[in-house]
Amino acid sequence: MKQKPKGRPFLEVFASAVQEDYRFPLLEIFAFLYALSTFVFAGMSFGGYGSSEQSAYSLVSALMSIPLNIFMLLVFKNIAFGLGSDLEKGTIQTTLSYPLKRHAILTAKLLSAIGVALLLLFGIQILGLTVVAAGIIREGIHVVILTYVASLGYPLLLSAIILFVALWVKKGGLALVLGIVMSFAFSVIQGIALIIAMFNRTAVPFQILAIINPSMALQYHYSPITSFGGIVWNPSLIEVVTDVCACYALVALALALCYYYFSRRLNL
Amino acid sequence: MACLRRGVLGKGFYRFNNKVNVRCFMPSFLVNAKGLYKHYGRVVAVNQLDLQIKEGSIVGLVGPNGAGKTTTIKIILGLLRPDSGEVEVFGQAPWDNPDIRMLIGVVHEKAFFPAHQKTLDYLKRACRIFGVPEDRALEVLTSVNLEDAYDRTIKALSAGMLQKFAIAHALVHKPKLVVADEMTANLDPQARSNLLDLVALLHKNENVTFLLSSHILPELSRVCDSVAIISYGKVVASGNLVELYSKFTARVLRISTDQPDVLAEPVRKLGYVQTVEVDSRGLSVRVAEGAEEKLYEDVPSLAKKVNAKILGIESGSASLDELYRLVVTKGGGGTT
Repeated sequence: MKQKPKGRPFLEVFASAVQEDYRFPLLEIFAFLYALSTFVFAGMSFGGYGSSEQSAYSLVSALMSIPLNIFMLLVFKNIAFGLGSDLEKGTIQTTLSYPLKRHAILTAKLLSAIGVALLLLFGIQILGLTVVAAGIIREGIHVVILTYVASLGYPLLLSAIILFVALWVKKGGLALVLGIVMSFAFSVIQGIALIIAMFNRTAVPFQILAIINPSMALQYHYSPITSFGGIVWNPSLIEVVTDVCACYALVALALALCYYYFSRRLNL
Repeated sequence: MACLRRGVLGKGFYRFNNKVNVRCFMPSFLVNAKGLYKHYGRVVAVNQLDLQIKEGSIVGLVGPNGAGKTTTIKIILGLLRPDSGEVEVFGQAPWDNPDIRMLIGVVHEKAFFPAHQKTLDYLKRACRIFGVPEDRALEVLTSVNLEDAYDRTIKALSAGMLQKFAIAHALVHKPKLVVADEMTANLDPQARSNLLDLVALLHKNENVTFLLSSHILPELSRVCDSVAIISYGKVVASGNLVELYSKFTARVLRISTDQPDVLAEPVRKLGYVQTVEVDSRGLSVRVAEGAEEKLYEDVPSLAKKVNAKILGIESGSASLDELYRLVVTKGGGGTT
């Protein structure tokens, strides 16, 4: 008789992934960086007060601006040097000898790589919001949630793409480089789009980019793009929500591809 | 058979009270691979390979580098999908199948473990994953003489120790089938010997079935009751060792002589001679089927011509090494 443990293998693989992803002192360093950027540098990007909604948006954006980049760095690192490295070095073969479905193994790894990083981010963010301006947050809680959801769309989409590349090429380092290059490329494209939009007085480039990074739509919802005295783009809240949904649909699609590839196609 | 009525999972399994069991409904072969084909680009790694492993046997997988041993093992373990052909392990397809992993212990060619975790902690985690008591971790570490390294990190282990650790990890859940790719690589002779003793012991006491791939053939012949010889992705000979020896060495004759190099030349020219291997004491000559008697008749006259002294002619008895060479090299014979 062989006992087939229920649930335990998943938790153990998850625990093992957490142990590898957040080896001392990585977790401590990133927690410190989150705290530092949330509490110390937030003031530098705070856009000031307006309506309660605008105040809530400005506050959350300010608190999120640097931590979001740190979050991206941590998640990229986890995917590249966690799962990517497992594939490159072959450690995943040992994990695949455990009584666990492939999709469950990937879920455990992703929970460690992205889930724990998110928990850490939100733990400090919620603490930050409570300490800084609990009243503003209470009044504009829907804006706070929308801002967080919109801000995370782009990093999650990039992470899903990096994950797919890491699975495809079985090389974590290459996936990490690609992630960083994509991140920089998007910033450059965003700058070019701004110039095109300003001089041609067209919102189309932004409408396209907002699907990839819906936080742009939210940003221009509260402070529209103007050019020569006219408004170029001022998306409505419905548009913002549509962009957020479209972005998360892309994230879901990319993750579904990763799951399909890992579970059905990945030969080791 | 009440258990069978409670939910059959597949050909070889049923689950009862959340326990996977294979005992009451055991397939005839633990591993049954038919017509496996796998290629990487233009390279054909496995070509119409058939392999069957019975319960309670120790099967050696033998072949030169690049013959397809590791690919075959990976297909059996569900790490690779074959391009065509079928494989069943415990009566089920191995790809993404957690049930059969409860019953299989794996030793990979290279040991793949997270480098920063401690040996005992990692094995305890494996115990928890497989649902066996954590005491088992130290027990298996001790069985491979690694108990002193219980608090070392995995990256601090030497190559040989890492190999032992991989074996301990494979045995932690008391598997019914152990699949080992180059299990004794990196081990010193004493450790190899101890490990083979452990294999024999597990086989004898717990009826564990082994599939061992190795280049070190004398070791395989020490523990294996059958072998499958792979060449260019195909099993070119397989079966019981005794049968293979008799089949492939019956046509090998050993000629002892004082001048092996001189005698080798005319012997090679005999039409029915397939291969001649020369060493300091004589020749090992492989002849065509039914030509043994002719060689007995021709060799004395040939020796006389080249002034060589014949010290004796006898039917060859080969080691697994020689058997392997006979089968794999030119004129080695067909598939059994």
